[in-house]
Amino acid sequence: MNLNQINKKLNARFHGAVRAKLSGGCIILSGELPTWQDTVEACQLAATKYSSTHVVNDIVCREVKSLPMRTPKLQDSALDGRKPDILIIGGGISGVSIARELSKWKLDILLVEKEADLALQASGRNDGEVHPGIDLSKGSKKHYYIRKGNAMFDEICRELDVPFRRVGQYVCFNKGFAKPLVYLYCLYRKKHSGISDTKLISGTELKRIEPNFAEEFKFAISNPSSGCVCPYGLTIAYAENAVQNGVEIALNTAVLDMEVENGEIKSVKTNRGVVYPKLVISAAGVFAEDIAKMANDRFFSIHPRRGTNSILDKKAGAYMHSIASVKDLTVSKTHSKGGGILHTVHNNLLIGPDAVETYEKENTETHKESIEAVFSKQKRTMPKLSERDIITYFTGVRAPTFEEDFIIESGRKTKNLIHCAGIQSPGLTTAPAVALDIEKMAVQMLRRVQTVEKNPNFSPIRHGVPVLKDMNDKQRAEMIRKNPDYGVIVCRCEEISKGEILDALRSPICVPTVDGIKKRIRPGMGRCQGGFCSPLVTQIIADFLGVPLSEVKKSSADSAITFGRTK
Amino acid sequence: MQNYDVLVIGGGPAGLAAAIAAHKNGAKTLLVEREARLGGILKQCIHDGFGLVRFQEKLSGPEYAERFIDEFHKLNLEAKTLTFVTRLEKNASGFSAVLVNRDGVETVTAKALILATGCRERTAKQVNIHGTRPAGVFTAGTAQHFTNLLGELPTKKCVILGSGDIGLIMARRLTLEGAKVLGVYEAKSTPSGLTRNIHQCLHDYDIPLYLSHTVTRVFGADRLTAVEIAEVDDKMQPISGTEQILECDALILSVGLIPENELAETLDVQLDPKTKGPVCNAQLMTSVSGIFSCGNALHVNDLVDYVSESGEIAGENAAKYVKAERKEIPVKAGSRLLYAVPQKLDLNSDNQKTVLYFRSRDILNGCTFKITVDGKTVFSKKYPFLRPPEMEKLQIDFSQYQLSENSEIQLDIEVKSDE
Repeated sequence: MNLNQINKKLNARFHGAVRAKLSGGCIILSGELPTWQDTVEACQLAATKYSSTHVVNDIVCREVKSLPMRTPKLQDSALDGRKPDILIIGGGISGVSIARELSKWKLDILLVEKEADLALQASGRNDGEVHPGIDLSKGSKKHYYIRKGNAMFDEICRELDVPFRRVGQYVCFNKGFAKPLVYLYCLYRKKHSGISDTKLISGTELKRIEPNFAEEFKFAISNPSSGCVCPYGLTIAYAENAVQNGVEIALNTAVLDMEVENGEIKSVKTNRGVVYPKLVISAAGVFAEDIAKMANDRFFSIHPRRGTNSILDKKAGAYMHSIASVKDLTVSKTHSKGGGILHTVHNNLLIGPDAVETYEKENTETHKESIEAVFSKQKRTMPKLSERDIITYFTGVRAPTFEEDFIIESGRKTKNLIHCAGIQSPGLTTAPAVALDIEKMAVQMLRRVQTVEKNPNFSPIRHGVPVLKDMNDKQRAEMIRKNPDYGVIVCRCEEISKGEILDALRSPICVPTVDGIKKRIRPGMGRCQGGFCSPLVTQIIADFLGVPLSEVKKSSADSAITFGRTK
Repeated sequence: MQNYDVLVIGGGPAGLAAAIAAHKNGAKTLLVEREARLGGILKQCIHDGFGLVRFQEKLSGPEYAERFIDEFHKLNLEAKTLTFVTRLEKNASGFSAVLVNRDGVETVTAKALILATGCRERTAKQVNIHGTRPAGVFTAGTAQHFTNLLGELPTKKCVILGSGDIGLIMARRLTLEGAKVLGVYEAKSTPSGLTRNIHQCLHDYDIPLYLSHTVTRVFGADRLTAVEIAEVDDKMQPISGTEQILECDALILSVGLIPENELAETLDVQLDPKTKGPVCNAQLMTSVSGIFSCGNALHVNDLVDYVSESGEIAGENAAKYVKAERKEIPVKAGSRLLYAVPQKLDLNSDNQKTVLYFRSRDILNGCTFKITVDGKTVFSKKYPFLRPPEMEKLQIDFSQYQLSENSEIQLDIEVKSDE
């Protein structure tokens, strides 16, 4: 599509309100539109899927309120004057996996995350599916990385002590006549995606594997290489391993500005002082465009897209044991998958997510309509699903570009910068493979200015907090003999002991908040949602820190749980 | 491995009464409690009103519990506290339970089990509250734990959703601690809690009660900053256009209790979808021979006095079960009843003092409760009114009705307007 064609299409739809021009290898859209929906539509009209000529959105949208990035309350000078070899921006799965791979080298690496913990945005707010990648087209970065990433999961999860299960994925069809077509589609996809194990299975076979699925399914695509992992568990594990190998992780640390001179980032301003890195890696999720702008290297735009998942009680977890979705044979305009049902590594079911365009990058509110829409769709796969089994729900915000592909490249104008941007589904699956590539790029770039040697002390092995309830009675008794606190159950839904909570508090990245502990070892994740255990966990944290109970937070600095002593 | 006749799981009022009764009836009994101290939820119920039926006295929760704990210790009964039942198994000679505590992992066996596991509270997400996930959303019991056991104030200005008894009690409690309770909001058109609590906890403290209202959203990225309230229609669905935003720092939920029967389910105990507790006979034995249920795990009680009573019934019968056999017939509840307990009678037991509990489905005025056996009315009692929040209790001598294996027992409520 050339510029004339784009402007023709834009004129036809928006009657001159929006114009496209080519500048610096990007398609810049300007003008004024009333709604965000229009703005997204205009950018999508101008974008070519998977193209490296990106759409940059400069349209003034009248609906959009200016929303400054939420910044941490913390203000200090702990990092002031720090001169790391590499500064990584963002403590999601991308940032921490890059940090871990780079910790194989003798380098001074600093990772900053604006939130009070790792994986607090998209990396902690997705369904944890390790995708097979059969639906991705050749030529895209997603396609390039998906099979490599998927194949790495067994080993990476073993090294990092993270539960991972290849449970298999079923794409279910209710129209028998489509079978020959879908068969050809699979053959074609298998060939160019390099997937050998995808196959079609009959309705009878599907019924045998998942007896609670709808009667009406005639056949399904089976992808045995699909799996599930706990996405924030993997993120924290990567980060802990990085820290063990010498990386410094600064939480509550936001990048506020940069000083760029002659195509080079000279300094980076944070709420904790000015940092002088040799190389900057941006893995900033929905804020990747903002970081690129600070670095004078903005050549793409992010359009946030939120999705809501429901978590169902473990009792419903027994209804099915894989990952499933239903396929309508109509042309779908949505970019990300319309959601599915997933049996998690912790034996709950996850239902969702949906996909809604939004300009609010940090709004993770849930809405009744999302839950209703997702359930009405997913009940077609499994009629037994019921909203009554919901124990909680959450919203995450994806960070796609208008080309709907990843950006993994060094700065176009700014030399000492690497972008890891536009990361959305299947970004969790691809992260291990992307991290290896960015590691190579970063080492190569640094070698132009210094020598880079191997880190002789690197160890790829990380041990998580032991999970007592998964042990046999003998192992468990032995653990309790060594530490009787392992025998004191604090969270009865998930069977988490005081000993495990204290272990989490002593882990390499201590986040002594109720949510920090919940994310690491799950007290409060069960059906009572912390009703019984949250006062106990709060008390254990207060005792551990030696502070009054009212000093313990749920998550951020302003999320107090109690307000001091009673009368 | 230690062997017992009766294993009681849960050391609240039901479990304590059950253990004492089982022991008095000659059973070698063990009580297991996951918390450090006996007494269950009563430990944090420092308000009064407990024991009016049983002791004709107004006791606080801890005082009420203390009477049973004292007796428990006086009888030299055995309890394992800070001990968690991680697994139950049924075998030829009875049951085995795997216990976890500071001493390690231990298996004990018992010929009968009494499940006195109580309730948990329904949470915000189970009543469709949306918005952000800030600090400051508490169930009433959790807020009570912070306030009464840990001495920490969970709110300075709050909204309470649900007029269940714990919510009403917490409205008063937090007011006394200096917090401002903006109001109690109830989605139903009638209060869920006891009438006496509406008066003593709300009216006496000028706390408004808004019926047919609910909370639909919460706001606040860190700590809760506001809630959205909406009126609801007769199907309890929010009416759009009626939303209003109330600034506060906490939302406290008293939106129902759910009997805890996850352990029971691992042994395939049949549950009643109405009570959410096990289906049981008048001896409070469940569908699985040898497993008994009592207290709030059986059905949600309004008064602790009845919780203790059901514990005693279960305890006594568990001890007797260790020797006997059973022959059961169903007790059917008519459509005007929300439910009735027990759901079955054991013909091999002495049914002279069968205690029946029931609740009406709706608010009924001028009505008659009837028991028919094989179509013949054998018992009737007039009530000026029946209300779902108030549980009714009757003692019936079923031994006088010459019940056989083919007998049909039916419970119904008749209203004057029927005639």
